[in-house]
Amino acid sequence: MTASTRYRIGLDVGGTFTDVLCYEPETRTLLPAKVPSTPGSQWRGVLDALAALGIEFADIAGFVHGTTIATNALLERKGARTGMVTTEGFRDAVEIGRTRRLVGGLFDVKFIRAAPLASREVRLEVPERTLSDGSVESGLDDHDFSEIVAVFRREGVDAVAVCFMNAYVNDATERHAAERLRELLPGVPVSASAAVVRERGEYERFSTAVLNAYLTPAMGAYLDTLTAELARNGVGAPVNIMGSNGGAMSLAQAKDFVVRTFLSGPVGGVNGALRVCEMADIDHCITFDMGGTSTDVALVHDRSPRINHANQIDAYALQAPQLDIHTIGAGGGSIVRVQPDGTLEVGPQSAGAVPGPACYQRGGTEPTISDANLLLGRLPTDRPLSGGLVLAEDLARKSFQKLVSRLGGGAGDLLGIAEGVLRIAVAKMAGAVREVSVHRGYDPREFALIGFGGAGPMHVLPVAEELAIPHAIVPRFPGHLSALGQLLADHRRDLVLAWGGRLGTLLVDDLKERVDAMRREASSLLEADGVAENRIEHVVSVDIRYSGQSFTLAVPWRDDYEEWSPLREAFDRRHGDTFGYVDTENDAEIVNVRLVTFGRIDKPHLEFQPEAGGDPKLEIRPVWFDGAWTECPVFDRARMARGFSFNGPAIVEEAGGTTVVPPGWHVTVHASGALDCRRRSGPSD
Amino acid sequence: MKDLVQLELIRESLVAVVNEMRANVIHSSYSSVLYEGHDFSCGLMTADGRQIAQSLDDHPIHIFAVPYSTRVVAEAFAGDVHEGDLFLHNDPYTGGTHLNDILMLFPVFHEGEPAMFTAVRAHWGDVGGMTPGSLSGRVNEVIQEGIRITPTRICHRGEMNKAFLELMFNNMRTRAERMGDFNSMLGTTRKAAEHVERLFARFGGRELLDGVEELIRRAETQMRANIRALPDGVYYGEGYIESTGPTAEQLIARLKLTIDGEEIVADLSGSSPQTAGPTNIGPSMALNSLGTIVKSFLDPSTPINHGSFAPCTVIAPEGSFVNARYPAPCGAMAEVKHLLDAVIAGALGQAVPHMKIGDHKGGANHTYIAGPEPSGEGIYLLYEWPAGGTGGTEGVDGNHAMRFYTEGDFSSLHSSEVVESRYPLRIERSELREGSCGDGRFRGGLGMRREVRLTGDEAVLSVVSEKNVIPPYGIDGGTNGAGNRFTVVREGEVIEPSPVPGKISGFQLRTGDIVREESSGGGGYGDPLERDPGRVARDVRLGYINPEQAEKRYGVVFDDGGGVDEAATGRRRAALRAERVHVALGASNNDAFDGPRRRFVLSPEVAGRLEVGEDDLVELRTGEGPGLRGWVSIDADAGEGSLMLGPAGMRLLDAAAGDRVEVRAARPAPAV
Repeated sequence: MTASTRYRIGLDVGGTFTDVLCYEPETRTLLPAKVPSTPGSQWRGVLDALAALGIEFADIAGFVHGTTIATNALLERKGARTGMVTTEGFRDAVEIGRTRRLVGGLFDVKFIRAAPLASREVRLEVPERTLSDGSVESGLDDHDFSEIVAVFRREGVDAVAVCFMNAYVNDATERHAAERLRELLPGVPVSASAAVVRERGEYERFSTAVLNAYLTPAMGAYLDTLTAELARNGVGAPVNIMGSNGGAMSLAQAKDFVVRTFLSGPVGGVNGALRVCEMADIDHCITFDMGGTSTDVALVHDRSPRINHANQIDAYALQAPQLDIHTIGAGGGSIVRVQPDGTLEVGPQSAGAVPGPACYQRGGTEPTISDANLLLGRLPTDRPLSGGLVLAEDLARKSFQKLVSRLGGGAGDLLGIAEGVLRIAVAKMAGAVREVSVHRGYDPREFALIGFGGAGPMHVLPVAEELAIPHAIVPRFPGHLSALGQLLADHRRDLVLAWGGRLGTLLVDDLKERVDAMRREASSLLEADGVAENRIEHVVSVDIRYSGQSFTLAVPWRDDYEEWSPLREAFDRRHGDTFGYVDTENDAEIVNVRLVTFGRIDKPHLEFQPEAGGDPKLEIRPVWFDGAWTECPVFDRARMARGFSFNGPAIVEEAGGTTVVPPGWHVTVHASGALDCRRRSGPSD
Repeated sequence: MKDLVQLELIRESLVAVVNEMRANVIHSSYSSVLYEGHDFSCGLMTADGRQIAQSLDDHPIHIFAVPYSTRVVAEAFAGDVHEGDLFLHNDPYTGGTHLNDILMLFPVFHEGEPAMFTAVRAHWGDVGGMTPGSLSGRVNEVIQEGIRITPTRICHRGEMNKAFLELMFNNMRTRAERMGDFNSMLGTTRKAAEHVERLFARFGGRELLDGVEELIRRAETQMRANIRALPDGVYYGEGYIESTGPTAEQLIARLKLTIDGEEIVADLSGSSPQTAGPTNIGPSMALNSLGTIVKSFLDPSTPINHGSFAPCTVIAPEGSFVNARYPAPCGAMAEVKHLLDAVIAGALGQAVPHMKIGDHKGGANHTYIAGPEPSGEGIYLLYEWPAGGTGGTEGVDGNHAMRFYTEGDFSSLHSSEVVESRYPLRIERSELREGSCGDGRFRGGLGMRREVRLTGDEAVLSVVSEKNVIPPYGIDGGTNGAGNRFTVVREGEVIEPSPVPGKISGFQLRTGDIVREESSGGGGYGDPLERDPGRVARDVRLGYINPEQAEKRYGVVFDDGGGVDEAATGRRRAALRAERVHVALGASNNDAFDGPRRRFVLSPEVAGRLEVGEDDLVELRTGEGPGLRGWVSIDADAGEGSLMLGPAGMRLLDAAAGDRVEVRAARPAPAV
């Protein structure tokens, strides 16, 4: 093995920390590092993290990067001055939308709708029209763009979206206009709507294209700086960026299609959890990634995460294939408040990293979930957490005393309230799990719940109890699972073909022919990205519905189907489970054929070894469970060997996470190092 | 304290059930009104018909009326509700909205007794009647609006009443779509009932139901406290339905709103009798209106349940258009409900000044285009309800073409590309209607303009809307928004598709015709001459208004470089202020009315300065509240510069004889 193929790097930039994980195939070892993130210039944190690994940069062979650049630039409204060129009559499509508020607003007299990302004075119309059948009624072959260019120059436009009606059928005019504008406005990135996403619905597609244009300069500048700095420091390996669909993208792709990277961070966790499933031989799991301000939840069935094609970010429609990750505003730093009617509310306000929970001693005074955990004995107070943070119990107590007095209770209620706060937080998070499972027609009890992220291990078992889920996993390196996911990312392409009709009118062989053509196309795209032919795998599904419905269910298509009936049966079953009825009288129709093509990379075969020897039991300390103090063993995870097992109640401490095991759970250290947690008894949901 | 936690858990769990129901309907329904337009709502009711939970996307107009219907069902089938039963209802006279809104109730049992109902009220694209889509501005009786379903058990102990369903579906257009939507509602209410049963098992049935009672009690306590914090007082309001539909006659709504201790009473006595046109509401809707406004003004943030409405009472005379009986058509119930919203908001705003807000499009703007499918099989139906600008309010400009704060967060437009690919129609433009805002210190939002061209052979157009003649009011000196306007452009000429503006029934379209839908701007808040010139400059830069409008409506003058010319603006504003027409009020023993219409007798001189003629609409403004509207009679004997007003008018304006008030023309067209 040459030096240049030595290390593979997964790197995840979070709001607080930049996590990196390095894999060395030769020794089959993983090396983690964690450094503070450097908002404003994320690349510094990236270099810091690489440096913290203490490896030769020249030995880095592959590098996948999860980045929050796109999301941050949008939420902070730090995108480009974005101009738009559109079909006459549709300049305001992105301002009117579908007339919805999209983010609350019922009963709110003072509601203010989010401003469009392309301001009205730089949304310009051109006299072009393509019809819904793809025919061009009026094109722009001889159109003079100089007036548009003059306005954009005068107004300081530094990114442009070209958004034409019906370009999803035929984008010839749109491409022509985009090309002309690129020539006339050198250095200004131009996003053409159908190139960004070829789906029907002008508001949704235009909105996506405008988002893409708005964020392109920020992403481009970041990636240019990053690659220059990496090169300067001797990293020669190509950088890939994690895409929202769960696959890695080339740098060029990430620059051109920024809207495919919004979930660049969270998908890493899902990928990491998939690997955990493979090692633990689990087919279905729900990922539970809880950080300081939010919790990301996703469902994985048959080791395939669900994907959504119609999404929303902030108050804007977004059409881009994204893993179906549901995020709620509850994390370790979520603040507890008393509502006007005297009931308790947890989140969505968060104390964030600064000032942070009261117990962090950084100036926070509001009671948070972390403070509740501390008061209940679930976090240590006599020694620092990893990262050197020492928690202050008196400050946590003070913050909760304030809450108790607001509720009009006595001091004796303090622990009861802290426990109640956790129960509410757990119920909220259980709600998020229901959202991705029950809402989509899955029974969560058939899934293993995988808890990771800074606060995930602390809450995963109570959440499992809330949903009567009998099986949960806390993986090794729970604070680094997202980085592991980046490291393991396959290349991925999603193709869609609008083809179909009523089953009764279609031929199975026609579908097979089309699927073959799609496979050929996707393979050649991946091979162009350097993926070897024998690494390519395809997964086919069809979007299907009862004739007359609009929404579809995705049902897998198998090559050995020779007639429609097995597909129809699978669809009926899914529909009945999901929506409560089966329409046997009605024909079913295919709307789209979807192909996901993976360029598989080698998955590390991880050899698990405890990092240290000796008795794992650190101490016995009182921890509050179900209204009483219980003497509870505290284990050091670094010393727990494979096969080690114990019963709850127990606490497991390690760098980057604390696992809380309530009474009623039995835990075994799995061969992969994961904590395999089984419920011994309990009520059912 | 454990109870508090339990309570929050119960509340979260119940709202989760409703959220699931919404997702279920959107994903499994068959008509675009539901999956694209989201015109449906879900909720949970107690067994005796009190509201437990809804989501923030559900529409109060649907849901706040469900308790009434549920009570009727509970009473009609008292002691006779069984597991496996299912109820259907749309009758406006027993709690329904209009016939298109079909309510399905699915009982959930605890220990053998009905304990809750899961409820979906969904707008069906067609329920029979005289025009495709069933809603028409020109009906004379409810029979013409489709099938009326009084509380009916359609499934008895699991046995579906197939004869009833056959009869029902046989009398509706696009039968397959109707059956699909019915199945979607059935699946949704059933899955929700299963979910509630799991909650019974988890919390304990008794504990859950006690928790529900506690949540309702807390909401009531909260609302009572908020009402108690307001000064006691009596406030008045008056407003008009601009036309009944079959005729251009107006209807008047009269309101006396009393805040007494911790209760609010809305007395609508004196409102017009029910009418043969579609502008009527049944008995559940006036309270629906009062509940919506009271909730918004006094307690918008706590989760919604029945307790909030307990301190609210409505007095609405039976047989009036605000409490109609058979055979009054109720197709335009949304228009009447919005009128009551506006009248109640105007009156309650006097007690809660920071919530005062300009009015909006005044109803749903139901727009139907229907024609034969190009394939020759059946008909297609495009149903949209374009949103208008929302009102200005202290500190906040209105939003453009967006759902109002009283409305669930539905899409009111389909995707233009979807329309073009499905129907023989082309969307020529879908854009903001520049200049349509009501002006004010905080202006209203712009309405929108949507042009739909018929590329097929033939089609018909039906519209039910308000505010085409009487524009949405501005408040506290703000000006009115531009009214709605629905026209047809044929070979370049604008033609009126109905003698009664905004009420169109089955107008025959020809190939190439363009249906032009223009929605209202929102009413302004505060005096436009006090608007920050920087904000006006921004509106001009964005093209919301043009420089001429900035000068004539806001008195803002720009220099050659496009910046605000402060000195010229000061002079222009002084001049505009001086041009305003004021009259001195004189006390008359009686308020003058001509049928429902309030009459103002103006001298020819005042009428001349206002450029209004006989029977034009004008309004009196004190700078507080929405003003008082009436129709002009010109009389040479009227005192120059004075206007006689009866005691009710004085109360409405909170004015006295001798006060000088501004009088303005109230035109539906955009100013300038």
